[in-house]
Amino acid sequence: MILHILNRSPSSSLVYRDALAGMGPEDRLLLVEDGVQGALPSQVRHFEVVGDRLFALREDLVAHGLDGHCDASVQVVDVDGFVALTEEADKTVSWF
Amino acid sequence: MQAETVLNGDVLVILRHPPHGSSWLREGLDAALVAAAFGQTVSLLFQGDGVLGLLQGQGPGPLGQKGSSATLDMLAMYDIESLFLDARSLARLGLSTESLQLPASPLEPPSIAELIAGHRLVLTF
Amino acid sequence: MASTEIHRYLRVGAQRIALDPEGYLIELNDWTPSVASAMAAEEGRELTDEHWEIIMVLRDFYARYEASPAMRPLVKAVGQTLGSEKGRSLHLMRLFPESPAKVAARLAGLPKPANCL
Repeated sequence: MILHILNRSPSSSLVYRDALAGMGPEDRLLLVEDGVQGALPSQVRHFEVVGDRLFALREDLVAHGLDGHCDASVQVVDVDGFVALTEEADKTVSWF
Repeated sequence: MQAETVLNGDVLVILRHPPHGSSWLREGLDAALVAAAFGQTVSLLFQGDGVLGLLQGQGPGPLGQKGSSATLDMLAMYDIESLFLDARSLARLGLSTESLQLPASPLEPPSIAELIAGHRLVLTF
Repeated sequence: MASTEIHRYLRVGAQRIALDPEGYLIELNDWTPSVASAMAAEEGRELTDEHWEIIMVLRDFYARYEASPAMRPLVKAVGQTLGSEKGRSLHLMRLFPESPAKVAARLAGLPKPANCL
């Protein structure tokens, strides 16, 4: 399993498409920084193919005032959860 | 070109930024050269606007900033010969592999995921 | 990359050639075979035909790729131009002891190679 980390929102950058193209069937996607906008119900459709392997970083959601606005399909993790995801992954790939 | 069948190696450098405008492409190519100089097997994936970095006929910038075409030619001297590009990125720009300076194997998403999984270290630029 | 800080001058005939702190040329256009010989003489060495052919391979490499090669590509370039007998690190180590890519680039009037130890 590879952990892909995305820090751009789907409404401002197409990098999310490249990230999705690079994901295998077991890989996970973590939204951080501006990437957390992708967790909004209005945006989350872009990540439909990821299913239940979509995560968003709580600290960034809080910073953006988006905590509580997340789509139910997104798993919210804090920094400790981020570390755990990293440890479970064979490697991480950053998309920016 | 047999490179397209080999989707694994030590280091994969993903180049997502076009030449000029930023130094990402140049820095990514430099990282690839350093890894190769230390004996790592290196593959390159040109993706997004990064596919423009493979285009034939690139030159220096208007202020004389160095272009990447000499560096592309030099890759073979560092035994960096596994070059890939995201086929969708090239199509989105309306370009074909005939316009490229070096032969790179076009990949569709499932193979891109395989390429990323097949390398020990993946660096994005 | 070539440094722009002039550390000292190398006397070559009537000319004074500016060198950076590591002994590389400040102005790449200053290079002539006499400059290379003077650099080598400072280190107590004399350049033989075998040195010169490597120096010319390096200058061709730089003209083509706009960069000084690390050791591996240097070995490859030498092999392609001068044959596999000479395209070996041992041969280069014998001619340019310690760090052939750096020593030979300096004598060839190129910037210090960026991608090597």
